[in-house]
Amino acid sequence: MPDRKKNPNTPVFQPAQPTTQSASSSSIGPQLAGLLTHEDLDRAQDRWRVARARGKGRAALSFSNLRLLWLLVGPGVLVFLGENDAPSMLSYSATGARYGVGFFIPFFVLTFVMGFIVQEMTVRLGAVTHRGHAELIFDRFGKFWGFFSMADLVLGNFLTLVAEFIGVRAGLSFFGVRPGVAVGAALLLVFAVITTGRYWTWERITLGLAIFNCLFIPAALLAHPDWPALGHAVITWTPFPGGDRAEIILLILSTIGATVTPWMLFFQQSAVVDKGMQPRDISAGRVDTFLGAAIAALVAIAALVATAPLFHHGIAAADFQAAQFAQALEPLIGRAGAALFALGILEAGVVAAIAISTSSAYAFGEVFGTAHSLNRPFREAWPFYLILFGSACAAGALVLVPHAPLEFIVLVVNVIAVLAMPPALAFLMMLVNDAQIMGEYVNTFWQDVAGVTVTVLLVVAGLGFGITTVFPQILAR
Amino acid sequence: MESKKKEEKTAFIPQGYKQEALRAGHPDLKDPEVVLSLLEADQVVAAKQRTRFGRRELSFKVRLMLWGLRIYVAIMLVIVAISVFRALHGH
Repeated sequence: MPDRKKNPNTPVFQPAQPTTQSASSSSIGPQLAGLLTHEDLDRAQDRWRVARARGKGRAALSFSNLRLLWLLVGPGVLVFLGENDAPSMLSYSATGARYGVGFFIPFFVLTFVMGFIVQEMTVRLGAVTHRGHAELIFDRFGKFWGFFSMADLVLGNFLTLVAEFIGVRAGLSFFGVRPGVAVGAALLLVFAVITTGRYWTWERITLGLAIFNCLFIPAALLAHPDWPALGHAVITWTPFPGGDRAEIILLILSTIGATVTPWMLFFQQSAVVDKGMQPRDISAGRVDTFLGAAIAALVAIAALVATAPLFHHGIAAADFQAAQFAQALEPLIGRAGAALFALGILEAGVVAAIAISTSSAYAFGEVFGTAHSLNRPFREAWPFYLILFGSACAAGALVLVPHAPLEFIVLVVNVIAVLAMPPALAFLMMLVNDAQIMGEYVNTFWQDVAGVTVTVLLVVAGLGFGITTVFPQILAR
Repeated sequence: MESKKKEEKTAFIPQGYKQEALRAGHPDLKDPEVVLSLLEADQVVAAKQRTRFGRRELSFKVRLMLWGLRIYVAIMLVIVAISVFRALHGH
């Protein structure tokens, strides 16, 4: 298990190079034959299914090509539906309740386009290098900068995990479930999902859970949206929200900043590696990421539309929690709509808890050189599973501590995530433009333009969000 | 151009792996050759454990940028901690 320790009996290989050569035809193939692990066998089986589907596929919409897409979809959809987590959904809902439909609908779409541009780079990094994000930062920039970025990740991930369990607790409270039972049930689900010992099974179960993020869509339909007004908002980006200028700018900045968070970069790259994706899968990885961004944007808009009746009825909902949103919506969109909304918040918390705790465990394994794959059984990768489940348990337990400052944790989560983004994006851009590890898969000119534009916007948003959070009087009227 | 198209068409077949093996119901994972043919060289756990990309040269500008970002995050975290402390104590 202590992978990086030197063992005099094992062969010494040359430094890694970006390659698409199969292991059997490489010079080190014969030496690797006796060193295969359980993880390699599971990954080979997944690759065999992909090769088989790819071998049969000819027409663009053939069954084999759809099967190929089914086999390769996963990390992108999971990362974006995971990003639609409890604090995000509450934020979108608060926006709808406070400002109704208008400017924020096309604005949400824009932020998810930015998210897609950034996350696509992690697909390429993972598929080409077969290394996780944390591992690459440690390899290329050394321990000093590596631990700096890890500190940001660990702090942000833990606080976000706490916020997810707050969402779980709040979502189930609508149905009268006690906090201890709600958190315990969510932890049991996290535990059940990770005991499969197989990345593929874990991914499919989590994807199955993540689809329930779409519960916000029927909730929005039950709110009987004003379709012409929605169409007008999409085309004209109006009406622009009125009211306190500082509050609106803060909301815009926080929405931009919260679209791409550090855990998403680490999670998707590690998941692409664990899935065994190769450079020939990059285009499918792009489709996966696009699908994730599109579904997540649709759900975000649905949450806004579902809570817009609160705006039209002049119900103040700025400080609502999940259960309060659902209770306030009940007379306006019915019991079914309110229940769907509460279940959506519950799902958002559970799926994000699974994804974020997995992201922490991947990063821990990559940094400390211990086994870090969901294809490994517990006995081979117990530190990985302990970090994964332990971080979820610690966050869940904190939510149950009487008088814990939960409201402040929810507030600080976004601030920490936004503050940590500039260095995370700097590392991402440098890694994806590093020809020594990416070879021909470095950014093209236009990918660089898009990446730098998003990075600058996110850095400005991060700075602006941080400054206005700490010094709100700067933007006051 | 023609050869590139041909290369793209056959790219799905892993090197060293027989086409007829892909038609079989299950891969023979007991055969290391089959496993290695399906994975890329640096995708095998043993190869990854024993190879590193190595440190890249960090220019003065890059180090300056990284230090700037480090100081930025440190200062902002302190400010956020102070504002949270104030809010918790009702100032």
